[in-house]
Amino acid sequence: MNIVTRTAPPPISTLIMRGLFDENPVFRLALSLCPAVAVTTSVKNGLMLGVAVFVVQVLSSVSAALIKNIIIPKIRIPVFTIIIAIWVSIMDMVLAAFFPAVYGEVGLYVKLIVAFAIIISRMELFSMKHDVVPSFWDGFGMGLGFLVAMLLTGAFRELLGNGSILGFQIVDFKPLLLVILPAGGFFTIGLIMALFNWIDLKRGKEPPGGTGCGGCHG
Amino acid sequence: MSTPQTAVDITPPSPREMMRITLGLTIVCLLASAILGGFYLWTEPAKARNVAAREQKLISQLLDLSPSAEVQEIRRYLLWRGSQLKIFYLTPRQLVQFDASGKLLATTEVPEPVREASAPAEKDTWVEANSGANDEDDFRYVGRFFSGIEANQVAGYVIEGEVPGFKTWIRFFVAINSDYSLRGIEIIEHEEDPGLGDQITEPYFKNQYAGRSFDALLGIEVTKDPLPREWRDAVESLGDETGFSEWIVKYADELPSHPDIHAITGATISSVAVTDGVKRSLGNFRKRMDLVEDYL
Repeated sequence: MNIVTRTAPPPISTLIMRGLFDENPVFRLALSLCPAVAVTTSVKNGLMLGVAVFVVQVLSSVSAALIKNIIIPKIRIPVFTIIIAIWVSIMDMVLAAFFPAVYGEVGLYVKLIVAFAIIISRMELFSMKHDVVPSFWDGFGMGLGFLVAMLLTGAFRELLGNGSILGFQIVDFKPLLLVILPAGGFFTIGLIMALFNWIDLKRGKEPPGGTGCGGCHG
Repeated sequence: MSTPQTAVDITPPSPREMMRITLGLTIVCLLASAILGGFYLWTEPAKARNVAAREQKLISQLLDLSPSAEVQEIRRYLLWRGSQLKIFYLTPRQLVQFDASGKLLATTEVPEPVREASAPAEKDTWVEANSGANDEDDFRYVGRFFSGIEANQVAGYVIEGEVPGFKTWIRFFVAINSDYSLRGIEIIEHEEDPGLGDQITEPYFKNQYAGRSFDALLGIEVTKDPLPREWRDAVESLGDETGFSEWIVKYADELPSHPDIHAITGATISSVAVTDGVKRSLGNFRKRMDLVEDYL
């Protein structure tokens, strides 16, 4: 009945590297692409969404690890959804009340997070099977991986689509306006994915199979 | 989302199991609402204060008010009894009541505690109690505007307006002089898409409205032509260094050669929404002022 099975947690460095490279949420697991593509039209937008997801991911992973032994396994998915919704709402309310300046910048992005597949999938795949501390580092690594992915995508799209980085004009024209449009978001992510595969090949590693879901077995 | 790890069990759960699931979910949801309710009660007063402080600051900026100036809020209410309509305006001093044709019905003095009340709900409750509304009537708050008073003179008005945007409402301020010419606009609240529609808050878009005369604004169109470089620099210079009054004088001669609002992108949903909203707010405000101006 109880699906909670403990396996020895990997070391912290592995957990972080896994989130950044081997199982990067965007470039490896290809999760949460829709909001990621919609938002990463500039480095600043990418950074805001990345930070917001990072915080919610860490909090949600830890919460799932804390309650995994007391929830009925059959209702764990709705409970995870509720946990994410609680953290997102709390962040939204606390920022609005006590950090109005920050809220003005990130308020829009915080509300987007409820629909993020990557967060719930880490709760299900990792936090359900591990203790609080490894879950924290898993959330940390995955959140960081998402943040880096947003920065890379945002930088690529802002530079080519708008000729600027972080709002500073680098060239005085728009080299390739296409990449800033929604379709260009997918092109960009595809190109960076290819880069990841190329690096893996150079490192003598087999790139992940054609399932598009490298993390589903882990 | 992720594929299930355990084999799918197709036999329906036993009644006992179903009860467990139902109960479990109910408890989780109750807990969640309790947590969120608690956080709401804790954070709401601070949030309301932030919002009010931000509004005051924006109004001062839009009207170029000095620190000693006073900002008055005027709230508007409608009372429907069947098809019969009454209109109420709550000024800091009095509650003024009109019928649908604009005939003055009554004025009521506003007591001190209501005048000083910081929560809008307190004012609304008092107005409803003094409006003669009974349970079947439809009584509602429908909007507000502010007047900036500088040395006992009206320095200008700020109208709050709302218009449907791409996903939900865009709430904005329209600041005008007493001759109904536009000073500027400010976006207060919106949920337009980051990177696209949310650019309505950027100076290069919202400042394009500054300095338009009443007639020019009502005829204003949204164009898909790109914003010319030098005009973009001009509208972006309005803000921290150059106040609204100064900017409007400086660029008064150039405004007629830029008669249209340049949209953010080729898809003009948010740009058109804001433009329509500003036009409508201004048109309605002028009509309403004919009624209420003498009572301010």
